[in-house]
Amino acid sequence: MLHVRDLTISYGGEPVLEGASLAVEDGRFVSLVGPSGSGKSSLLRAVIGLQRPLSGAVETGLPRSQVGILFQDDALLPWKTARDNVALGLILNGADGRTARADAEAWLARLDLAGFGDRFPGHLSGGQRKRVALAQVLALRPKLILMDEPFASLDAIVRARVVKDLVALVEREQISVLLVTHDLEEALSLSDEIYLLSQGPRGRITQHYMVPIPRPRDPVRSRMHPAFAPLYEKIWADLSRAVDPRVEAA
Amino acid sequence: MRGAPRYSWARQVAALLVLLALWEAAGRAGMLNPLYLPSPSQIGAALFDLFSDGRIWPHLEATFTAALGGLALGITVGVVLGVTAALVPLIAELLEPVMTLLNAVPRVILAPLFVIWLGIGLASKIALSFILVAVLIFFTVFTGIRQVDRRMVERVITLGGDRWALVRHVYLPSVTAWILSNLKIAVGFAFTGALVGEFVAATHGLGYLLSFAQSTYNAALMFALIFLILVVVLLIFGIAGRLEKYLLRWS
Repeated sequence: MLHVRDLTISYGGEPVLEGASLAVEDGRFVSLVGPSGSGKSSLLRAVIGLQRPLSGAVETGLPRSQVGILFQDDALLPWKTARDNVALGLILNGADGRTARADAEAWLARLDLAGFGDRFPGHLSGGQRKRVALAQVLALRPKLILMDEPFASLDAIVRARVVKDLVALVEREQISVLLVTHDLEEALSLSDEIYLLSQGPRGRITQHYMVPIPRPRDPVRSRMHPAFAPLYEKIWADLSRAVDPRVEAA
Repeated sequence: MRGAPRYSWARQVAALLVLLALWEAAGRAGMLNPLYLPSPSQIGAALFDLFSDGRIWPHLEATFTAALGGLALGITVGVVLGVTAALVPLIAELLEPVMTLLNAVPRVILAPLFVIWLGIGLASKIALSFILVAVLIFFTVFTGIRQVDRRMVERVITLGGDRWALVRHVYLPSVTAWILSNLKIAVGFAFTGALVGEFVAATHGLGYLLSFAQSTYNAALMFALIFLILVVVLLIFGIAGRLEKYLLRWS
């Protein structure tokens, strides 16, 4: 589904990310965990084509429209209603306005936003805006979704609800996900695989873990799975070393 | 006026009425020289005269045509130049110094030049009104486009939008929003241009009437005209405000 090979990204000076390789196979939920400044976001931007890498390759084998991306700060168009924001992606991909708006309304309803189609983003709460952004991406029926800490700005309870809905959708629709985050707990509770990225500049992928928690998953309950705590401890130790090599594993 | 004490408008109106009554009384008591400061009733009579014989209409029409013509032209040209400059670095390089210069000087100094070039008819007034508005709108659009939220641009690109989609769904609405939030200033500029232009040399218009009142030492007429212009501009401001509120209802 997604293969990143030997990717190096630089914004002119020293590379932020160096020689990163990873794979997201069909239907897998993969997280890339690393400290701030490790080049996580840069990697996603390179995958979606917003950032030209210095070297390396990105292969998705998918048309652009089937790769969705969710950013930390949703960037809905403030002058379009929730419905028109969701419909925009469909229209840009060739749907006619009427069908697109009907489809958008259906996606809003699926994300608990029935009746909010006429609202402008400025008149929605943070959690609602996040759901609209999610609907916008899901409406395009992506096979792969890239996520850049998309829930960081939400408060804990809203976040738990949005994440739960997202996981259910992703599992049902067999969507592959690449999530970048510095929240190890979230990564563990959601993912099938985790890659660890070391502190930038010259951030590198240092580890690759499998998460043996079965699906379908409840993001909250999966934290109580017997495999969770030991793996958490192991990755945490590796992560601490990735941030500061002088720290010895406990 | 949110948060203002209740009935503050009533007290304001009352204060105004008291002031007008004192003014009127002072005038009737012979304490004011009507050559300099005519009483409210004299101003009212002058105003009534302007409308009763209908001779005000061609002047109102002239001023409105010049102001609205200059406004429309100024917005159009300002947007086109602003967008072009924001997208083509070479154009920005050439235009920016000129615009900065035009922005720095009081542009009404061009009024006599426009009269020489375009005559004392409508064209020179439209030109002055235009140049006042166009420079304002140019900077609004030019700086605005450079400050468009990158995240919105990236969102539209990642949803599959091309350059045209960016223009249509991001840049045009942004530009519209900035123009609308500057619309009142632009309207003020447009009327300033028209009135000053008429003041300098004209055969019609409120500005021409003002200069006529001045040359004939007709203070009552002058006050009547000032009052009329105030009302007209407030009216236009009201319409512009409504339009702004409706079109920017998302904000």
